[in-house]
Amino acid sequence: MGTHVPDEYPTLFRSEDMSLVQLFVPAEVAHDTVAELGELGNVEFKDLNPDVNPFQRSFVGEIRRIDEMARRVRFFATQIERERDVLPVRPLYDSAPLITVGPRAAQTMDDLDVTLSAHESRLLEMNEGYELLSGRLAELIEARHVLRETAVFFQRAENNQSEIRTSFDDSSAPLLQHEDRENQYSTVSNVQLDLEFVAGVIDRTRLSTFERVLWRVLRGNLYMNHTDIAEPFVDAATGNSTYKNVFIIFAHGDALLAKIRKVCESLGATLYPIDPNADKRVESLREVNVRLEDLESALYNTGSTRRAELVRIGESLRSWEDVVRKEKAVYETLNLFNYDVGRKTLIAEGWCPHFALRHATEESGTSVPPILHELRTSKTPPTFQRTNKFTEGFQTIMDSYGIATYQEVNPGLFAVVTFPFLFAVMFGDIGHGTIILVAALLMILNERKLVRADLGEIIGTFFYGRYIILLMGLFSIYTGFIYNDIFSKTLHIFQSGWSFPEGSGVVHAEPTGDVYPFGLDPGWHGADNALIFTNSYKMKMSIILGVTHMSFALCMQVPNHLRFKRLTDIYHGFIPQMLFLQSIFGYLVVCIIYKWIVDWSKSPTPPPSLLNMLIGMFLSPGSIAPGTQLYRGQGFVQTVLLLIAVVCIPWMLCVKPYLLWRERQRVRGQGYVGLAVGDDGFDARHDDLEGEEEGNGRAIAADAEEEHEEHDFGEVVIHQVIHTIEFCLGCISHTASYLRLWALSLAHAQLSEVLWDMTLNRVLGAEGFIGQILVVLVFLMWFVLTVAILCVMEGLSAFLHALRLHWVEANSKHYEAGGYQFKPLSFAALNEKE
Amino acid sequence: MASVFPVVIVLVIVAGLMATSWVFTRKGPQQTLIRTSLMLTLACCYLMWAIAYLAQLHPLEVPRVNLALEH
Repeated sequence: MGTHVPDEYPTLFRSEDMSLVQLFVPAEVAHDTVAELGELGNVEFKDLNPDVNPFQRSFVGEIRRIDEMARRVRFFATQIERERDVLPVRPLYDSAPLITVGPRAAQTMDDLDVTLSAHESRLLEMNEGYELLSGRLAELIEARHVLRETAVFFQRAENNQSEIRTSFDDSSAPLLQHEDRENQYSTVSNVQLDLEFVAGVIDRTRLSTFERVLWRVLRGNLYMNHTDIAEPFVDAATGNSTYKNVFIIFAHGDALLAKIRKVCESLGATLYPIDPNADKRVESLREVNVRLEDLESALYNTGSTRRAELVRIGESLRSWEDVVRKEKAVYETLNLFNYDVGRKTLIAEGWCPHFALRHATEESGTSVPPILHELRTSKTPPTFQRTNKFTEGFQTIMDSYGIATYQEVNPGLFAVVTFPFLFAVMFGDIGHGTIILVAALLMILNERKLVRADLGEIIGTFFYGRYIILLMGLFSIYTGFIYNDIFSKTLHIFQSGWSFPEGSGVVHAEPTGDVYPFGLDPGWHGADNALIFTNSYKMKMSIILGVTHMSFALCMQVPNHLRFKRLTDIYHGFIPQMLFLQSIFGYLVVCIIYKWIVDWSKSPTPPPSLLNMLIGMFLSPGSIAPGTQLYRGQGFVQTVLLLIAVVCIPWMLCVKPYLLWRERQRVRGQGYVGLAVGDDGFDARHDDLEGEEEGNGRAIAADAEEEHEEHDFGEVVIHQVIHTIEFCLGCISHTASYLRLWALSLAHAQLSEVLWDMTLNRVLGAEGFIGQILVVLVFLMWFVLTVAILCVMEGLSAFLHALRLHWVEANSKHYEAGGYQFKPLSFAALNEKE
Repeated sequence: MASVFPVVIVLVIVAGLMATSWVFTRKGPQQTLIRTSLMLTLACCYLMWAIAYLAQLHPLEVPRVNLALEH
């Protein structure tokens, strides 16, 4: 087993070589093989049974069992979450792993199944018991309240007994019944109170309805009293609290009492039997208290047992979740395989990076074992760009535009530098750059801890792009030095190229003859006409950077054309496009630089406006108005360039379709009939598998409707017209679009200056103790606003515009983005997704 | 004396640095990434500096200050 260093590593320049591999797996080791492949995360399996209903696939039974286990695990997770006091759950990286491969795997899974169902039944039992006990507890508490309150009622009623008797005398009942009642009362004579009553508890919200209904039903023949129960009753299951009242209703006659009882039932009041005898009531109260105590302790015990159970579950919960997830993935993948009944093996097909295959072969030291072999295919493999934690962010932002076509040049590689750079051109400030650099460093230095924490969506996004922010900060500090801007102040590192003479009022600086060696001269800071110079400088800089970026992106076409053997596209696509771009905008860039180099104070003609020059080049080619000449021979040069540009347009438009047409004529002339669409030479039937013995592997899955290129001539012409117009118009609009580099950097500088002027500028130099406090407070305000507005808001804005420049202006020059992402079976990716 | 000479000199130096970074990046899985990043960084930084330098070679505007208002 040699540790052989490969000569050729896969790079980010283009997506990796993928091979279509066919695996023959004996049924006994299928599960373990797939589990191992899942750990490696190198293979994307194809579905070899696309027409099979998911309920008819081979491993449906296992998946059902796993789903049941998953349901139980989810139940445990929700139960733990619901606990009011947070329950500790052992995290995955800390848990002992469950071995799910090898000879003991089936036993482990069975044990897990049993364990999970045992835990579940215990938990359900405890939950039920707890609810029951809670219900009884509530009842007993209500009963206690009723007993207490009714004691008060009876006392009051005793005191008013005579009054009550009088009130009954005034009732509308006939005399005869009155007599009966008197007899009735005398028999129940050991009762101090001669009334019958019903006592109970009802929801506070229903109380008024209750009273009204009773009044109507009994026609006022009742005496009702009620009190609030102060503490609410909390429902254990739902957590709702309800307020209840104790009531007692005095009435006479069985019929009335029966009616009362019915009304109580209908309105959901609970009735409690209360003994009219005071001693018996005291006895009942004591009994209730005793039972309450017992119940409370039983409840407490159940609660703590339940919590102990949940703690035990919490120890292994994460590893169970992990196992269940993995097993489900394994069985779902096994369902994709084709079962060869004759040989009792499973046949799998999948895409695998070439590098991984070769690496595995070299590591194992033997030739590729016969269970795996590569197939030739005409299908397009998925795109796989191998990224690490540094390049991941950059690749993601470019992938958001579109996944690269298989093996085309990957713009993500260049975005690693160009994206932070263009951001920095719009953000250039040493101070602000330092702030975001520090923020990025904080995230990176605490990487390991933060990766596992749940940061939430917004902070999580910032954390994901921490390396992008790091580079953005570094480049911003550099461009900050170039713009000579630190929190809207300048640095005087070198000797300035301007000296201000003594004087008052309006003073013009004089050049010292030297150029400030690095960046913008600090002499401009604070000058009235600083913006005139800075705007001119930044606009021209934007154009130069823009044309350079676009030319670079255009050149990325060439490796693509070479790779896919499209030489006509180089001659009749790339070259005219490049000529068109350079003859107009490349010329503009050259003129800008030339105009800068010429010493206009020593020239006979005044410096011409470049914008007018460019417009004049198109409107009146060949003639240069006198006094606006940039260099000798300009008229001739501009005419030539214009002609080149004009020639390029029909070149881009017509030559390629013409060549295609000529080729088809030639092919037709030689008597070949065009292949019908869909007739794939690799279309194999199942009996063709016999051929594998000889080693000519055929892909089993007959891919339906592989997209073949339409050789319809009309389509080609239309495509070419669109492409040409898009490119030519795009050249102009995209070049102008780069002026946003100027616009945003101007806005940033101005905002920074305004913030300083409005805050710290006004309090610096304030005297006295108050002055010092004021300076500190205003500094805090300045700092918070700097971070919030200038770093976060402007930063997001510059990020967005830099991204737009990459997506629209640069990618449109070369990026096809017609691929699909490689999605291997990977357990690591599964864990990340959760 | 303000001349284009420094720009040209630095261009030569940066080109040399770019060539060095191409040749001397050690082989490994990150070779392309390091090479590309270094070369692009050198090119971008040079471009930025050269533009700023060239723009100030023979400026067409002079700074104008109103000293009475200066604080």
